[in-house]
Amino acid sequence: MNFLAPTAFAFAAVLPVVVLFYLLKRKRTVKLVSSTLLWQKFLAESQASAPFQRLRHNWLLVLQILLLALVILALARPYFAGNVKGGRLLVAILDASASMQSTDETPSRFEQARRAALALVDNLRDTDQMVVLLAAGHTEVKQSPTGNKAALRRALQSCAVSDAPTRLAEAFRLAQPLVKDRTGAEIHLYSDGAAGDLSEFENEGLSVIFHQFGRRAENAGIVTLDVRAHPEDPTRRAVFASVMNAATNPVQTELDLLFNGAVVEARPLTLAPRETAAQVFTAAQTNDGIFTLRLMTPDDLAADNQASVVSLLPEPAKVLLVTRGNRFLERALAAVPNVSLTVAADSADDAREFDFTVLDDVLPAEWPANNVLAIRSAPTNWVEPAGRLDAPPIVDWKNTHPLLRFVNFDNVQIAEALAVKTPPWATPLVESPTAPLLLAGEIGRQRVVWLAFDTLQSTWPLRISFPIFIANVVDWLNPATARATQFQVRAGDPIRLALTSPLTNAVMRLPDGSERTLTLDPGARELVFGDTQREGIYHLEAGTNRVDFCVNLLDAAETDTTPKAELRFGKYAKVQAATAQPANLEWWRWIAAAGLAVLMFEWWFYHRRTA
Amino acid sequence: MATPLLSAELLRRLEQFQLLAQRRAKSAARGERRSRARGQSVEFADYRNYVAGDDLRYLDWNLYGRLDRLFLKLYEEERELPVRIFLDASESMTFGEPVKFDFARQVAAAVGYVALCGFDRVSVVPFPHRAGEALARGALRTVRGRKSALTFFQHLQQLTASGPASLNEALRRGAIEARQAGLALVLSDFLDPAGYEAGLTALVARGFQVDAVHVLAPEELSPTTFGDLRLVDAETGGQQEVTFGRYRLAAYRQTVSNYCQRLREFCAARGINYFLASSATPLEELLLRQLRAAEVLG
Repeated sequence: MNFLAPTAFAFAAVLPVVVLFYLLKRKRTVKLVSSTLLWQKFLAESQASAPFQRLRHNWLLVLQILLLALVILALARPYFAGNVKGGRLLVAILDASASMQSTDETPSRFEQARRAALALVDNLRDTDQMVVLLAAGHTEVKQSPTGNKAALRRALQSCAVSDAPTRLAEAFRLAQPLVKDRTGAEIHLYSDGAAGDLSEFENEGLSVIFHQFGRRAENAGIVTLDVRAHPEDPTRRAVFASVMNAATNPVQTELDLLFNGAVVEARPLTLAPRETAAQVFTAAQTNDGIFTLRLMTPDDLAADNQASVVSLLPEPAKVLLVTRGNRFLERALAAVPNVSLTVAADSADDAREFDFTVLDDVLPAEWPANNVLAIRSAPTNWVEPAGRLDAPPIVDWKNTHPLLRFVNFDNVQIAEALAVKTPPWATPLVESPTAPLLLAGEIGRQRVVWLAFDTLQSTWPLRISFPIFIANVVDWLNPATARATQFQVRAGDPIRLALTSPLTNAVMRLPDGSERTLTLDPGARELVFGDTQREGIYHLEAGTNRVDFCVNLLDAAETDTTPKAELRFGKYAKVQAATAQPANLEWWRWIAAAGLAVLMFEWWFYHRRTA
Repeated sequence: MATPLLSAELLRRLEQFQLLAQRRAKSAARGERRSRARGQSVEFADYRNYVAGDDLRYLDWNLYGRLDRLFLKLYEEERELPVRIFLDASESMTFGEPVKFDFARQVAAAVGYVALCGFDRVSVVPFPHRAGEALARGALRTVRGRKSALTFFQHLQQLTASGPASLNEALRRGAIEARQAGLALVLSDFLDPAGYEAGLTALVARGFQVDAVHVLAPEELSPTTFGDLRLVDAETGGQQEVTFGRYRLAAYRQTVSNYCQRLREFCAARGINYFLASSATPLEELLLRQLRAAEVLG
């Protein structure tokens, strides 16, 4: 047997003190008696008078010395090297998404979840190990596998709730290799059940214990927000929003629109149970600024009651069309509002003065450095044609992509197209059976849309979908649009800003007023700020730039705080919320405390009897 | 004089009793006790041959008629029984609630009264012997007859207890000083470091019939003071440290019981009647039950 703390044996020096206390004479009360004769006989019969003989039969002293010796032995922390069966591995996933801020539990779902996780730590056995994962917009490993309860408690105490949406899949992806093929390994999920899609774990057979928090869904929130130019009046801006009521009761509230902090419009709003209502505001705008939408209703979740959006004044998009003549394309581009179109037969320079370039079946002498819509331009650096397709039928298109919004390829025939393989940078948006017909993607910071066929070799320009597509292209390729979306950040996602000139440091002011100084690498071309856990307006001062970023929750799944009693893994697998948590609730601490109390009582009682 | 030693009711009942002596009285004075001496009484004792000069009134004429010889009838002479009461008046007797000395005086008064009613000679020997008190007591050393009862009681009430005493010494002196042996009543707590054996043995050896009444206070039998004590002996001034708790009460009682048992066995071996009495014992209980049961009173 060895000792972790052999210095504790120094406490053995107190053992003689106990004996000394027994030998010390007590203060005695003087009493006059008729005769001490009987007492002398009594003492002679009941005890010996020599001090060490007196100690011999004092069982109390023996017990006290024994107790002290055991305490000292325990303080020395004896151990022996042995092999134990591997303990359990518990992976605690603490959901720190916005909906966990709901105050339907006291003080909040997240605090309740933390408390439950701490209780799990208390009940760990000696050989058990635990991992703490904090799952919000991203999953953070707060504690790698350990049996050290203090470290686990510290890790749990350091967890903080965020305004980010839940992405539990990432957490499960981290937890899965830990618990895979390991007996006794369990995943303890502390969440309200707004988990997103977990179908990838359907067949993994994860051992998940779902601790569900949340009792009701008294919440209304803003779930979408966007600002655009007014379709009919270019001087005004249209703010699109949708407000969701997750409660099963109707909600009467007021929706306020603010521009740079000043109220523009206040609109009373009545939401039916579980209704999502779309709202459109129009407002004049004279300078760049921030529209803020505020829902004036006290509910369980405050994070979704406010959302902001950066609105930049529209500037005419400068478009260079390099074509050998395509009237359909020219008219379609000219029809898009706020476009100043320049048509050229060839492009001689990198066309930096234009916002984007349209290459209509030409290979320019100088490749443009800005965003490009390339129609049947090949070969290029980007695509390698492998042949030609005659009359390829259109079999599929992705109308979820912004480029294909409201675009329909029914009744579009193509005479001839280039056959290319999908390059790694691009997403195929329109596909024939053998090759993609429309690719879109980003190369470096350059957006590229590549069309495999000449529009004049198809019936597409005759269809209504063509000008819509061109309008979408203008919207998508216009750097101003990209810039505007760049100021819109989901909570938990990083803020990115392209740097035009090298900087060494920048200051970011957070919504709560605190400031962070960011140190940048002089060669960096992009500034990235990741700590966007709280929603609100982030103000960046970088060199001469003053930029505002709006960080919003804007997530219907988070706003819908309805507690979910089960967690679905795909179609068939699911986990029910565990109401009673399986844990070994150990008693020994209480028994040991009771033992100590009895010991104290015995000591007190002994002294009361002899007093 | 606070309360009378004995109540009138008790005195009235005591008049019905007499002291029973197992031995014949040896006193020279005439009394009401049977003795070995032959003399005048109504109790026939024996015959003897007539010799010239004998009182013709005691000849048995019936026998002369049958045997034609002269015999003289002898009668037992009744003598008095000297009763000596040894009363412990040491400092240790002043303790207890009720005070042991008061109790002992009451017992002495009661037994003395019974003896006086039976025309016996009663003397009280208080010890320690003090010269000053002896002067006052001188005439009262010995009283006889019921008429002296009042004097006897007054004498008892004047006694005080103080100072150290030697039980052995007092009893031995009492045995030597007695002109005739008789009944000896020893009233003491027998708490003498020097012991009691020599004194009692001396009394028995002198021919006394000894009755020992062991008077202890309730506090001594079952103490009520607990804790870390330094006990001071009232007579000797000796000190004794003791830690005493309720849980050791039984052990203490055993010690007292052993002490009393040893005394009882010592007495039994010498034909001494032994009585243990707490000073809280009712007087009637001791006198009318215990002493009667032991045939000290009858």
